Amino acid sequence: MAANDNQPDVKIVNERHNPTVAALLSIIPGFGQMYNKRYWKGATLFILFAAFIGVMYGFIADGLQGLITLGETPRDDDSRIFLSYGILSLIFLTFFISFYVLNIIDARKDAKRIQLGWEVPDLRQGFKNAWDTGFPYYLVAPGLFLLIFVVIFPLLFMVFLAFTNYNLYNAPPRNLLQWVGFDNFVRLFTINEWRNTFFNVLSWTLIWTFVATTLQIGLALFLAIIVNDKRVKGKRLIRTVFILPWAVPAFVTIIIFSALFNDNFGAINRDIIVPLFGSGIPWMSDPFWAKVALIMIQTWLGFPFVFALFTGVLQSISADWYEAADIDGANRWQKFSNITFPHVMFATAPLLIMQYAGNFNNFNIIYLFNQGGPPVRGQVAGGTDILISWVYGLTFENQQFNMAAAISIILGLIVVVFAFLWFRRTRSFKEEGNI
Amino acid sequence: MFKGKFLLTLMMMLVLSIALVACGGGDDDAPADPDTDENGEDAGEEAEGEAQADSDAPEKPESLDMWVNDEDSQLDAYEEITQRFEDEHGIEINITPFSMLDQTEAVSLDGSSGQGPDLFFQPHDRMGDIVLQGLAAELELTADQEERLSEYNEEAVTAFSYEGIQYGIPAVVETYALFYNTDLVEEAPQTLDELMEIADSLTDASADEYGFLMEATNLYFAYPFLTGAGGYIFNQDADGAYDTEDIGLDNEGAVEGAALIQSWFEDGYMPTGIDGDVMNGLFQDGKVGAVITGPWAIPDYRDALGDSLAVAMLPEWDGDQLNSFSGNKGWLVSEYSEDKYWATELALFITNAESSETYYETAGELPAHTAVEIDDEFMGPIFEQTQVAEPMPNVPEMSQVWEPVSDALQFISQGEDPQEVMEEAVEQIRDQIAIMGQ
Repeated sequence: MAANDNQPDVKIVNERHNPTVAALLSIIPGFGQMYNKRYWKGATLFILFAAFIGVMYGFIADGLQGLITLGETPRDDDSRIFLSYGILSLIFLTFFISFYVLNIIDARKDAKRIQLGWEVPDLRQGFKNAWDTGFPYYLVAPGLFLLIFVVIFPLLFMVFLAFTNYNLYNAPPRNLLQWVGFDNFVRLFTINEWRNTFFNVLSWTLIWTFVATTLQIGLALFLAIIVNDKRVKGKRLIRTVFILPWAVPAFVTIIIFSALFNDNFGAINRDIIVPLFGSGIPWMSDPFWAKVALIMIQTWLGFPFVFALFTGVLQSISADWYEAADIDGANRWQKFSNITFPHVMFATAPLLIMQYAGNFNNFNIIYLFNQGGPPVRGQVAGGTDILISWVYGLTFENQQFNMAAAISIILGLIVVVFAFLWFRRTRSFKEEGNI
Repeated sequence: MFKGKFLLTLMMMLVLSIALVACGGGDDDAPADPDTDENGEDAGEEAEGEAQADSDAPEKPESLDMWVNDEDSQLDAYEEITQRFEDEHGIEINITPFSMLDQTEAVSLDGSSGQGPDLFFQPHDRMGDIVLQGLAAELELTADQEERLSEYNEEAVTAFSYEGIQYGIPAVVETYALFYNTDLVEEAPQTLDELMEIADSLTDASADEYGFLMEATNLYFAYPFLTGAGGYIFNQDADGAYDTEDIGLDNEGAVEGAALIQSWFEDGYMPTGIDGDVMNGLFQDGKVGAVITGPWAIPDYRDALGDSLAVAMLPEWDGDQLNSFSGNKGWLVSEYSEDKYWATELALFITNAESSETYYETAGELPAHTAVEIDDEFMGPIFEQTQVAEPMPNVPEMSQVWEPVSDALQFISQGEDPQEVMEEAVEQIRDQIAIMGQ
């Protein structure tokens, strides 16, 4: 383990101070720092680590053991509690390991600097340096800590549940949970009822996400450009009106729409469709029309936000661009596709991706409109159920926590992968816009 | 707290446990011996009002905790009722308001740490879930307690048993009945044929006027018609245990019932897409002769129709009284309770005739105890209907029945073949039960 990373043009001052030794000594935290003659720092580190091990060793060891066994005697041991303690132990262990590694790296780094003739600062100076360099970390630390326990912990709990047999028939506290590996995922793709339903629901979910979101964005873009035209009078009033669907709580709107779309008694069939066409459209009883109705409602609910977004962006496009285009003899379409559209997309792409992700998991509208109905013969999930509303049913009506968790993981992965690819793609706008 | 009395308590416990062993009501998986670490009340209680063999009973705890659904009227009622129990037995009752829907989860998570209640309140159709999670204790009823329980609505008591074992004491029963508008229908129809005549003569769909409406595509309300001619959901044995393998929703009787429901849609008596909101709206506008709904609708209906509102039992079909689906709510003793005997006593006390009457007067829910007189013109017929009502099956497999059957009823209302649709629904129920959990 010779330190062969000494650059030849650097003059070694302290030949005998060896970074490798410092790193090896730091296997017991603090000792490497002492070797570097930073006694206070070394002592503090050693005490901190010793204290952590002394206090947490029992908890972490028990926690990890519980995570593996998930309890031994039903009734006395609650597997869910073992699982959460296990996850907590894992988090603490991760903390510990990362600090441990940092301490070794730190000892080695200091030793190298001493080799090159760096003077070890005195205690006060050391504190000052630590404060100056570490300031951003001190600021972020409380938030990070909170994030870990509020976001990461429940997520991990869900992920772990997907690998257990937690359903009604094995429910704690009467029973212990077991680890079942990838069984739930395997069942999802091999058992016919699961597989058929899953793929039916998945395909509609993707169609729904794509069509509903694209429509709401398209409508918003169209309206924003029209309203932004110089010749339109009363812009403020028009904008206010267009923002209204966003201002009314969606919960209320959806329930009202659900009544409006009723096949026999809803105003849409009664007062509009029947007088015009002679017979009503089966909005609530035919899966196809129910889907059409949902997409229309979502477009109506979703466009104001995007509209407001686009309006802001459009106003920020400099008029010089259009003037230059006019001089070059560009027509309307060319101006739109080469100036307006790239500008708008560049500025709002991340938010639009969020819109897609939001609709992918838009539980409210599906559930409130008609609980995922109408029924489809020979299928378990309803005609308009999307994955998230189906998972809801599994969890709350059938208590199949394990399957619900497994499907949720797949849901999460889909969203993450799509968002990742999209974010990558939106860079192309960057290069084009060159802003 | 534990100074001088501690030894005394220990002694008393010893004596009591010997007494317990002597009366030998022991079961192998629930220790009947309350191992409390509290000081028992002095056992020199005066004689009980209800001739109880108090000397055989385990030692009284100092207090019992119960979770009452967090509705003011219910809380008020139980405050009053438990006060009587305190006066009679000298056991303090702590009431914690706790939403019924969140109770099982809380018992499951907090019970083992001793923070749970002794008694909690649940609808009977959660029984299967509760027993599978091991939250409710098996009741070891003494002969005297059995005696008292025999005065309750038998079906409701059975609803709180699971696989033949009693886990709870029913408190209230809820079902639906026929509500009619006396301006349009002078007298309650006694038979289904009379009801159909009403539907035939009053229905004018173009003017939104109907003779008879109900949520026909909802299994909860359609149950009497599906089962009236011999259909059943899960077969029940003598103990009231359900055989989930034996589903009777596609047998001859069930299909006959489905065809009957279909005929209403075919004859134009009912519009497709009928739901509760539409039904309530039209009935309150005075445009409907009769509807089937439950006691929850009374306040709105009374406001809308005033004196024209009347309630009757469901009619007869081919000479048999139509049953109805009932939902019961009752008290369960927590598996984690340390005083199961006294918790059971409390459950029986707060659901006895006197308490039930108080509860009905304050909270307006119909009792499971049959010795109560209900002379309200609206609630009376519903109470009579509860006597012939059948509780929803309390097995967890029931959760897989609702949707397929309600879907099937929807297909039937759209004119599909009842036989085919019901067979499909049963098949779907079987498939779903099969993947519920291995």
